[in-house]
Amino acid sequence: MTFLLPTLAEPQHFSLAEKLLFAALVLTSAYLFWRRFAVVLDKILKSKKDASFHLFPLANRIRDFVSEVLFQSKVIRQRPAAGIAHACVFWAFCAFVVVTLNHCASVFGFPFLDPAGPIGRLYFWFAAVFALACAAGIAALFIRRFFLRPKWLGPKLSWESGFIALLIFTLMATYLAAFFTAASSPSTRVLWWLHTLSLFIFLPIIPHTKHLHLLLSPFTVFLSRGSFSQIPPLAGDEDFGLVAGADLTQLVSLQAYSCVECGRCTEHCPAASTGKLLNPKEIILGVRAYLNDLGPASDQPLLGKYNSQQAVFQCTTCGACEFQCPVGIEHLPILVGLRRGAVNTGSWEDDHGSKLFLALERGSNALGINPAERDKFIEREHLPIFDGTQEYCLWLGCMGSYDPKGREIVADLARILNYLGTSYGVLRKEKCTGDPVRRLGNDLLFQQLAESNLEALAQNKVKKIVAICPHCVRTIQEDWKEYGTPPAVEHHSEFLARHANRLPHASSPSSDSNNKDRVPLVPLLGPGKEKIVFHDPCYLGRYRNVYNEPRTVAALAGELVEAPRNHNRSFCCGAGGGLSFLGEETGIRVSQIRAAELASTGAETIATACPFCNSMFRDALASTAEPAPQLLDIAQLIARALPPANLPTR
Amino acid sequence: MKILVAIKQVPDRDSPVRIDATGKGIDESDLQYALNEPDAYALEEALQLKEKHGGEVIALSAGPENVGPTIREALAKGADRAIHILCDDLASRDALSVARLLAEAAKQEAPDLLLTGLQSEDLGQGQTGVIVAELLGLPHATLILHVEKTDSGIEVKRELEEGWFQTIQLPTPAVLTIQSGGNKLRYATLMGIKRSKMKEVKQLTTDSLVPAAPPVAVLEQLTLPAKKKSTQMLTGTPQQAAAALVEKLRTEAHVL
Repeated sequence: MTFLLPTLAEPQHFSLAEKLLFAALVLTSAYLFWRRFAVVLDKILKSKKDASFHLFPLANRIRDFVSEVLFQSKVIRQRPAAGIAHACVFWAFCAFVVVTLNHCASVFGFPFLDPAGPIGRLYFWFAAVFALACAAGIAALFIRRFFLRPKWLGPKLSWESGFIALLIFTLMATYLAAFFTAASSPSTRVLWWLHTLSLFIFLPIIPHTKHLHLLLSPFTVFLSRGSFSQIPPLAGDEDFGLVAGADLTQLVSLQAYSCVECGRCTEHCPAASTGKLLNPKEIILGVRAYLNDLGPASDQPLLGKYNSQQAVFQCTTCGACEFQCPVGIEHLPILVGLRRGAVNTGSWEDDHGSKLFLALERGSNALGINPAERDKFIEREHLPIFDGTQEYCLWLGCMGSYDPKGREIVADLARILNYLGTSYGVLRKEKCTGDPVRRLGNDLLFQQLAESNLEALAQNKVKKIVAICPHCVRTIQEDWKEYGTPPAVEHHSEFLARHANRLPHASSPSSDSNNKDRVPLVPLLGPGKEKIVFHDPCYLGRYRNVYNEPRTVAALAGELVEAPRNHNRSFCCGAGGGLSFLGEETGIRVSQIRAAELASTGAETIATACPFCNSMFRDALASTAEPAPQLLDIAQLIARALPPANLPTR
Repeated sequence: MKILVAIKQVPDRDSPVRIDATGKGIDESDLQYALNEPDAYALEEALQLKEKHGGEVIALSAGPENVGPTIREALAKGADRAIHILCDDLASRDALSVARLLAEAAKQEAPDLLLTGLQSEDLGQGQTGVIVAELLGLPHATLILHVEKTDSGIEVKRELEEGWFQTIQLPTPAVLTIQSGGNKLRYATLMGIKRSKMKEVKQLTTDSLVPAAPPVAVLEQLTLPAKKKSTQMLTGTPQQAAAALVEKLRTEAHVL
């Protein structure tokens, strides 16, 4: 079989002049490469050490590396066509490491792969398959960038990218063409030198351009903090977040230099797509420009010339950017870090922000309402007080305690808990978990709130918390860890999904006969007819990886349909990151875009699982003229079927 | 400009206020404390004056050991140093007695301006600031929203009734009592708190300032305001009822 296949042709002998020329090329290319790469490396290594960084355990790092780097999972998943084209290029580069080493060694008469031998023949053919895929891939990417021109690649055409594409195409074409020439033919020599030239022109271009990601991003992915939106603890008395260059850590600098400028972060950013100033890609490039100009030891502020404070405070912390970054950049620790730098030093001046901070300095809740109102609500709804004997502490949160709609959700969840016979109680006093101030970068307030709540929970001997607000859940479980050991906490969607077979549901004969345990109390709006679209809250989905549970619950009430953007691609409601407290947005409201998208599914009901989303959509839907779908929390979908009077049995 | 700001620690607005067993004080077991709001505005005004004209802002507070965090808060927000008059019996002292302490401490500093809130949120007498001014023999003005430095002294904006304001000129040194709402308050920052630990808090004892004297005003008893919702039915013909209503609005409600 093998004799039927052409063999890779290589020049047989190299003259002394050729050897010298080759050596000169290698040295020049390596010098030009290193001259720039050393600078970048120096800036990264001279950045502050990440105090909270731990290399071990390695298992997750290896898993992410294999999945995201070797298998290009994030590159492909988010943009399949361009992603596969990129993966072809990447895999070909991997395959070509051996080819290139052999290529260089052969000049000096030490080739280790014989094109005619069994191993060499096999390997060269193996590489040729990748070369073919790579040539096709790079050509497709070239067409995309220069002719299809997706808007997130920016309005300016990058000629450097075009030139690189040409080099890569030449590298592959010259390799492939050598299968069709004879070793002794002069065209073999021409192809060989063309290949060599392309290679040594390509090398120094890498550290000068965004192609630096070739070298850095495998490290960036491997060394990432490991969990989503992880805000590192402040290190020492002089750390106030990202104030100046001296606060940039090695991880931040590495990430800044790894950015490949693909614009996936910007494409899915709710702020960037509704006319705000914030553009997550530009934030990362701003940090990179700062490092290039001033370096990591500078005391010049990071916000100002290089990044805009206004932009940084437009982030809803939805995390779409970080979630889909293919090169391992963690945008949220950087964005929140810049906010910490501004807030912890007092340089952020915002009337709404100050009002929120002052409300939490002196009071207990983000809404600035007298806690006596919470007491009255608890009394009116006959919510039992947690006394240490109940299984669950029902955490109300600011929205559940004070917001009229949030209170309805709490009341409905309480009715379901009563119906299920689950014992629960609410704390007599509860403070804001600190979510909005955590995301806005106020470490002083966050610490006070976290410590005060942790103390209250410990005093009350709370073991398990269930909450209606994904922001509370996230903050309690992850962010409070910095100041103590929080009790186990779950979102009500997780609790309800676990008890799904004991909950009333839209009765349909088929499902009833399949499931004898399920006792429908009151049929809901007819047998499975109600069309329900579920909106994934950022803090439940991307932050907690909970997608199926709320759907399981919503599906009890009707027929589920999906919004165009769903699961981990869900689009923010606009409330996160403390933004629901910062007053009117500029540009289009994020909530209106999302509410319209949800309504466009034709669903009769929009199901939410977060009181903030609920509040945002309530306002957005009220401002649309068309008859809007009804808006209900998943707990309310279920509670509708319960008898109206359902007081605690104890 | 050297500015002294007299501040008071008061029970937090959200704390439950219960009268203790003696009937003369409030039960402090479940109480949280905060900086008296008008004093917070006085501090803010002082800090803004300092930011504009330079100088020094000194926080002055009388009270027991646990006033510490409130003094710390003032330092965190930008006061340069503080004076703490250790006084365990603050709650039982009348306004004159407290003013004497503050005035003596102020004398030692000889500031250009002494600012304080126009009243405290807990007792609300509105006396201390003006008595301090009288004790020091300094010009004073109350209900001040804004202070502007002039060549000869200061110009202040004073709140009158019904949305009217008065602008007056004063020489310095002077004492001003500050009304809430003239400025936007700044929030406490982590850097402020950390830096405040390095700032000086001078402690003074009451004995070193003023010899003990019997109070002029003695607190007899504290009671919570009774919630009364009394509805009076005005009877008679519509004309008679209307006349009676006008009379009541004029003489009892004072709204006409």
